[in-house]
Amino acid sequence: MATERVPVYCYQCVAGPDLLKVVVKDGVAVGVEPNTDLAHEHPAGGTVCVRAYGLVQKLYNPARVRTPMRRTNPRKGRHQDPAWQPISWDAALGLLAERLNAIRATGLLDAAGYPRLAVTLGAGGIAPAYLGTFAAFLSAWGPVDQGIGSGQGVKCYHSEHLYGEFWHRAFTVAADIPRCDFVLSFGYNGDASGGVTGVFRHAEARARGLRWVQLEPHLSVTGAGAAEWVPIRPKTDFAVLLALLHVILIERDWRQACDVPFLERMTSAPYLVGPGGYFLRDPTSGTPMVWDRDRQRTVPFDDPRCVRPALDGAGIAAGVEIGGDGARRSVSERVRPAFAHLIDHVRPYTPEWAAGIADVPAETIRRLARDYLDHARLGATIEIDGVSYPHRPVAVLLGKTVTNGWGGYECCWARTVLAALVGALEVPGGILGTTVRLNRPAQNRLDSVRPGPDGFMEQPLNPTGRDTWHATPHIRNAYRTLVPLADHSPWSAALGPAHLPWLFREDPPEHWPAPTTPDVWIIYRTNPAISNWETGRIERELERFPFIAAFAYTPDETNWYADLLLPEATDLESLQLYRIGGTKYIEQYWEVTGWALRQPVTAPPADTRDLTDVATELARRTGLLEGYLAALNRGVGTTVPLVGPGYDLAFGPGDTPDAAEVWDRVCRAATRSLSGGEVEHDLGWFKAHGAFFVPFAPSQYFLHATMAASRLRYELPYQERLKRIGEELGARLHERSITWWDAQLEEYQALPAWKDFPGIWRRSAAVRGRRVEEFPFWLLTSRSMQYSWGANVSLPILADVARHVQGHFGVMLNRGAARRLGIADGDPIEIESPTGTTRGRAILREGVRPDVVVVLQQFGHWATPFARDLDMPNLNQVACLDLALTDATGSGADLVPVQVRRL
Amino acid sequence: MVIDLRRCVGCQTCTIACKQEHALPAATVWRFVADGEVGEYPDVRRVFLPMQCMHCAEPPCVPVCPTGASRQRGDGIVWIEYGACIGCGYCAVACPYHARHLIGEAAGYFGVPTPAEAATARPERHGVMTKCTFCKERVDEGRARGLVPGQDPAATPVCAVACIARAITFGDLDDPESGVSRLIVEREAVPLMAECGTSPAVYYIVG
Repeated sequence: MATERVPVYCYQCVAGPDLLKVVVKDGVAVGVEPNTDLAHEHPAGGTVCVRAYGLVQKLYNPARVRTPMRRTNPRKGRHQDPAWQPISWDAALGLLAERLNAIRATGLLDAAGYPRLAVTLGAGGIAPAYLGTFAAFLSAWGPVDQGIGSGQGVKCYHSEHLYGEFWHRAFTVAADIPRCDFVLSFGYNGDASGGVTGVFRHAEARARGLRWVQLEPHLSVTGAGAAEWVPIRPKTDFAVLLALLHVILIERDWRQACDVPFLERMTSAPYLVGPGGYFLRDPTSGTPMVWDRDRQRTVPFDDPRCVRPALDGAGIAAGVEIGGDGARRSVSERVRPAFAHLIDHVRPYTPEWAAGIADVPAETIRRLARDYLDHARLGATIEIDGVSYPHRPVAVLLGKTVTNGWGGYECCWARTVLAALVGALEVPGGILGTTVRLNRPAQNRLDSVRPGPDGFMEQPLNPTGRDTWHATPHIRNAYRTLVPLADHSPWSAALGPAHLPWLFREDPPEHWPAPTTPDVWIIYRTNPAISNWETGRIERELERFPFIAAFAYTPDETNWYADLLLPEATDLESLQLYRIGGTKYIEQYWEVTGWALRQPVTAPPADTRDLTDVATELARRTGLLEGYLAALNRGVGTTVPLVGPGYDLAFGPGDTPDAAEVWDRVCRAATRSLSGGEVEHDLGWFKAHGAFFVPFAPSQYFLHATMAASRLRYELPYQERLKRIGEELGARLHERSITWWDAQLEEYQALPAWKDFPGIWRRSAAVRGRRVEEFPFWLLTSRSMQYSWGANVSLPILADVARHVQGHFGVMLNRGAARRLGIADGDPIEIESPTGTTRGRAILREGVRPDVVVVLQQFGHWATPFARDLDMPNLNQVACLDLALTDATGSGADLVPVQVRRL
Repeated sequence: MVIDLRRCVGCQTCTIACKQEHALPAATVWRFVADGEVGEYPDVRRVFLPMQCMHCAEPPCVPVCPTGASRQRGDGIVWIEYGACIGCGYCAVACPYHARHLIGEAAGYFGVPTPAEAATARPERHGVMTKCTFCKERVDEGRARGLVPGQDPAATPVCAVACIARAITFGDLDDPESGVSRLIVEREAVPLMAECGTSPAVYYIVG
């Protein structure tokens, strides 16, 4: 019996890629094992998580779509059988190309100005690791609407992504766990979502004594490993965070408790703020001013002779404030440093006040603040790569639903300010960014640090000026128009309010381009009929899409409405080289960076096709081959140009390379570019070895040294730029009589204040003619490591092991609350919201607040094989699409006021 | 074997790796991680507890076997000679850890076996009792190649190799200098239900 072990990567979640080998016996894939050959390079010893062990079953799943199919029933609906007819790949691509060529003949934009072609790639950052060169095809095409969401953007760590990248190049934020001693986690569920590296790092830290306190409404997988669980009310996290700030700044002597030199030199805390709420600036240069305590006068913040800028106090000073649209206001009156404003801002937010809102005892809040300060080790240093850094081993982490939707901005702000107060921002032991998505270059955060205005980092923003604002949305979710922080990067479409295209179809807003449906919608690895809020509404909309081409692994609830199913070669069937290592995503801190290969491990068991070959063929059939090859040569989709110093591997006009030829050149270019031209490995080498690495110094994890060397400051605590942006955006919208975004404009606050965030959701009942009191429970979701991101709900082996993790295949609720409702373990129950119902079996737990019910992930399938028999409820069936539940970044959150009853 | 409960996150990677290594049919697991709670709201802890055959030094499953199929090796591994087992289940009743499982005429997950299921079919296990073997074939083969169980992945049970939290340590309990022996002493690891008098070979680090 011939046995091979084929190296591939797994990127079924954004916490990878991880490295594995597939065991192949006599041409049959029979198993998965860690790639221990690369144990020294991989931070978790080459291991892979439970999902990767499902890949063999995914390969041979008899329920998968085995050949391209076209719909023969023109009527679309849940109860309309699509009547699929198998067709050849040639016919299938011909059908799609015909539709695409019709668009090119008609015009790429429709009458409303929206792209006629839309493409939705699911699962956030995962799709590119499986997409082959499809991005190069899209680049060659021209305008494409990639903002018709499936829930993955607006439900993710949306505020953390946008504000985190704005403040410290932290599209995602992680604690420097190996050097951290104390974590306050507000719902961060990294032991379910942090990948094998996150789990490994947390386990190592717990074993050495890291203290982890978990504040969340139900006891999650991560909470299980915590030293303490604090059952906080949903969406009240900001109240506790404000109270923590209050204790540190009001109840303690902040001069002793805080890292004053860090605040003075590395933040905007000393910047003087005028009566209009804008920085006091030098009238000539426009430079923000500080108060020099030694010379007792105002000086520009960057005056090298100012070594002791004031953080508190007040005084008369002269200068100008520059507000929205450049409005200048001369000032000669009493001003105070931003830090003094912060102190006054948090003064009302006592622990007793927070206790009443969050149901967290005041003494607990005071104790947690004390623990945070005690662990911060002000003045301590640590050596990294021979350089001395501040060592501040404390972190505040935020989880999903805390970092998105109303209150997301406020929580992210408070968390980052808490770090700044003790100097635990971008230093060993503190909170760090892991990846950048809006700035460039994307491969190393430190290289993305460039000087911007007022001593801060440069940050690309969508303009809000009178002459620069994009008044007309260029895609249906309007991120360039409505969300300045979303920027205009290749990732931005997924970071905008991606549910608006669905919402606006039924509820068109005033003074806005007419909502339209794209002529052709291509979908990949996405299932909005399950994963978007208000699933019934999504289904109604799907009936109206004139042509949907779905890359399809199995039939599912969205491709039920498709016109064409294209079974792409999946994880173990196709070729792709992907970047790996460095600090990218979640808790991926590697000491190497490089490239890993995904490759076919055996002959495909179905008539599938590699997405790279699909992209090349579509380019040829639509007359876009030249542009497609040019995009490949630039590195679009592969992230490595085929031409670089000392090498030219570019494709020439008229080439029609197959997937192997494409990835062979990418392999060679990637190794050349990474090794400074010294090493060139081809596809054959990668097939044998799996991955190629070069060293990545741990000092590159921390922004601190780069910021200090560039004499840059973090734009904290005072959000002057956001205040100005909000003012300008409001002016632009109002100039066009658009007032339906006014509530969102209120998010742009220099110092965010508490609002009744839970009430925003509670009030959704009254709007629909129901009483708030009818819905005494909160329905929440929680992460399942077994299922998240993996597109694996049709695999019974995952269910076979997931059944051992409580919460799968039912609804978790508090045992005492259930008793009062007459609900026993296993009883069928119904959950009703103002807009719908969902059903499941009761799972009684002690680790759930009495006012909370929890379902895992997003199930509720009715078409996907196997998953449709799991009888799982789905929050999305009872959550409503609602502009009132949409924050300024365009995100919402997975929480719904509900009532619960036994069936 | 020593399992560090402070590290375990209940992910079931060990569960699925074991299922794959031993080609276990649907709904059969030789090991899994129990997800339990201790206390009442709000003073409650969630506990993950990996469960498997404890390979007891005094295994109650062995003497009750009417055919002698249930056996213990010199190195302590408790195993089943499938050819001698009649599937009566006495051993399952005797085991206080519920670690023994009858495999019937096992179908695959999909009715018709997949190519992988067909290639790894183990018909000799149909109709007999089964359980965790401490991956004895893997351990033996590795040892024969000069590898050290517990140190070399190819000679170590797959649950320990697959664990993403490094919660599972395998080694020689008879060697006081082995990693597992030192862990038991230094971390005061304890066996499960010691009061049963079975002298389990699986220890847990609790605090």
